[in-house]
Amino acid sequence: MKSAPVPTVFIVDDDLGTRRAIQDLVESVGLRAQAFATGQEFLDRRHASEPSCLILDVRLPRMSGLDFQRQLAETGAQIPIIFVTAHGDIPMSVRALKSGAVEFLTKPFRDQDLLDAIQQALQRDIAAREQQAEIHNLQERYQLLTAREREVMTLVVTGMLNKQIASEISASEGTVKIHRGQVMRKMQAESVVELVRMADKLRLSPRK
Amino acid sequence: MVPFLIFLLILSLSVGLLSWRRNRRLLVEARNASQARGAEGTNELAEATTDRKRAEEERQALSRDLQESKAWLEEAQRVAHVGYWVWDLGTDGLIWSDETYRIFGVTPQDGLIDLDKLREMIHPEDREAVFRTAEEAIRSGARADCEHRLFRPSGEMRVVHSLGDLKKDSSGRPCQMFGTTQDITERKRAEEALRRSQFYLSEGQRLAHIGSWAFDESGHYWSEELYKIYGLDPQNGAPTVEQYLALVHPQDRASMAETIKIMLEQHRGHDLIERIIRPDGQLRYVRAVAVPVFEQGIFKGFVGTTMDVTEHELLTRELQREKAYLAEAQSLTHIGSWATNFHTGQMFHLSDEVYRLHGFEPNQGPSALERFWDTVHREDEPIVRATLENAIRARADYDIPEFRVCHADGSVRFLRTIGHHNRSGELGDYVGITMDVTERKQAEQERERLRQLESNLAHTNRLNMMGELAAALAHEIKQPIAASVTSASACLRWLAHDPPDLERARAAAIRMKEDGNRAADVINHLRSFYKKGTPTQCEMVDVKDIVREMTTLLRNEAFPHSITIHSEFDGDVPHVLADRVQLQQVFMNLMLNAIEAMKETGGGLTIRSGPNPERQLLISISDTGVGLPMEDTERIFDAFHTTKPQGTGMGLAISRSIVESLGGRIWATANQGSGATFCFTLPVEAEEHA
Repeated sequence: MKSAPVPTVFIVDDDLGTRRAIQDLVESVGLRAQAFATGQEFLDRRHASEPSCLILDVRLPRMSGLDFQRQLAETGAQIPIIFVTAHGDIPMSVRALKSGAVEFLTKPFRDQDLLDAIQQALQRDIAAREQQAEIHNLQERYQLLTAREREVMTLVVTGMLNKQIASEISASEGTVKIHRGQVMRKMQAESVVELVRMADKLRLSPRK
Repeated sequence: MVPFLIFLLILSLSVGLLSWRRNRRLLVEARNASQARGAEGTNELAEATTDRKRAEEERQALSRDLQESKAWLEEAQRVAHVGYWVWDLGTDGLIWSDETYRIFGVTPQDGLIDLDKLREMIHPEDREAVFRTAEEAIRSGARADCEHRLFRPSGEMRVVHSLGDLKKDSSGRPCQMFGTTQDITERKRAEEALRRSQFYLSEGQRLAHIGSWAFDESGHYWSEELYKIYGLDPQNGAPTVEQYLALVHPQDRASMAETIKIMLEQHRGHDLIERIIRPDGQLRYVRAVAVPVFEQGIFKGFVGTTMDVTEHELLTRELQREKAYLAEAQSLTHIGSWATNFHTGQMFHLSDEVYRLHGFEPNQGPSALERFWDTVHREDEPIVRATLENAIRARADYDIPEFRVCHADGSVRFLRTIGHHNRSGELGDYVGITMDVTERKQAEQERERLRQLESNLAHTNRLNMMGELAAALAHEIKQPIAASVTSASACLRWLAHDPPDLERARAAAIRMKEDGNRAADVINHLRSFYKKGTPTQCEMVDVKDIVREMTTLLRNEAFPHSITIHSEFDGDVPHVLADRVQLQQVFMNLMLNAIEAMKETGGGLTIRSGPNPERQLLISISDTGVGLPMEDTERIFDAFHTTKPQGTGMGLAISRSIVESLGGRIWATANQGSGATFCFTLPVEAEEHA
């Protein structure tokens, strides 16, 4: 039996004491923790296979935590971030939260606040990962469709009848019916409604 | 006159000689006749007696005639100063007329004249020439003619002109010389005087470079010097108008031609300066003056002078150029020069720039000193007048560094004026300069404004710096404390495990201890920052300098709140070994606090410094402000303790750190009346250690 992967909490803080204290606190609740002094170290060493979140100090040498957050977003690395700072102000926290941060905590923080934020962040990551996995699955199924089948699918999800589709693609209604059956089978869709939801997740847009 | 006299003399002489000869012949004839008649018989005695009588009468008449003639001759000789003489060449005897005697200054009574005596009387330098001339005449038979000088027995020298004609006897040998001697001393003197005056005139013209000329119907006269001025040869005579114009500088030629035309046509004179070019190419400036001559209203011609004024003209031009340069320099620098007597109000010199500085046009400026006074700003006039009057009374120089003048257009300028008393001059005699210092003044004001801004900035900066420092400090201290708190949480959680994970709990507790120590280290480090200071920056500092600097710097802070800053130095304020900047900071903190305390009320800030009995330098800063809080006054030196809304609570704490790092002490006391006094001490290094 394959057990669920243990989530990992990553910590980036230039202050060794803080780094070690947070790591210890995280471990005390049975989570895995990995701490780095700089953002670069984190990028080099982290493993994205299991659910994770990042506790990021706002004030870092060379690159601020907020700048690092932006850099991560630009490279497409999706990891929920919890900001901690020894002296933060409201504009800074607003900016961080708008950019998608889970929480913005001011040192010294209550341990429960941090742990709650970690829980929240991990759940968000798990949900994101599940969604990502589903899309990945749908994409694999979509890859099995022929070009004609993809064309038919795009038109089916707009709610068109077989007859309309046949006229649209200049084929017989019977041919459309066969394509449609193949699409439903390959995409493993039980109903047109489910197929529409799949197309939505795949971000398919009807051809003009 | 002289030729006429000579003529008269010759005439009288001939007349005299003729009548003398005639009479003599008559006498001889008469004697012969009577002798003849005597021989003829006595019967003719009566007749003879009658004849004799008649002859006697005749003789007497003749004698009278002769006497008369002789008298005329004498008179003529005397009038003409001509004497005659006869020289018997056989005997060397001399016969002189009375006038000759007179000319020689002797009388017949003094003894007969002879050649030796004559020779003696002739001027030694002329003696030889006279006798040579005579000998020459005797040899050649020609007339002897010579001028010579003689000495009268009185020692007086006379100049005479002698003529001598030779008489020959029947055998044709020269036997006698008859001659005249004329006293020409006066004529000679007149001639000499004339010659001298002519010499002086021409010499004068030569020296003065003045030539003269005359022009009338009889001709055109040019003086020697005039030829020289124009570089012409006198041999060629005076130039014609065309020749003259050719000499005139081309640029002046047309106007000169016009002038000459007017002169000839309208008989009008002129006085002008023209340029001429001498035949040798030299350019000269001449001043030509022509004056028409009228006799009884009829035009007769022109007389004139021409003066070579080249040097003068060049000098004048040079002077004008210099003056122009000076005026230009004055106008560029806005400095005017003047010379005046304030006592009499007389103005000897006023450069154009002085007029401009007072807002007048130079050529339409005032002629009275009072009008200059009118431009002086009413507020400044009393001080300017007082300064001036004091200087005049003391006969001293003065310098009024700044006063305002109001121009007619309403603009106000700042002037500075410096006057030097003319020591050789009279009361109130001054020469000086006036300059425009408006720009300098404005620059000063601008500088002052900037300085004030700078000082305000320094103050703001100081507050910012304190804020920064506090924030940095907060961060540094918060970091380990936060870590410690987190570790404590972790520790508690390890202990809450079942069973408790003591190993992890212990590790967390150790980190808590470390982080707690780390926080303390930060604070210790901060304290040591002031405690240690930076030894290299310590130097011997004169507290008086710092007090002055800070007073200047903070005066702008104090002034708007009617706060005066006053400093007292008690005796010799010893130098102290300190970091100048840190000490400035202490003064600044304490003085700013004092100003702060008096902002609402105004008041006085007094800084006293001097040695105390413990051989330390004691400095006190007193204010008359709100005073100290009632509670423990020591607390005010604690960090973050503030009674002011905008205070950082660091000023006094930092000041205490600095003072203590320098080995001194700081405290505060409430004043008897209002306000507070902050005191601090600084150790004084013994002189030999300095």
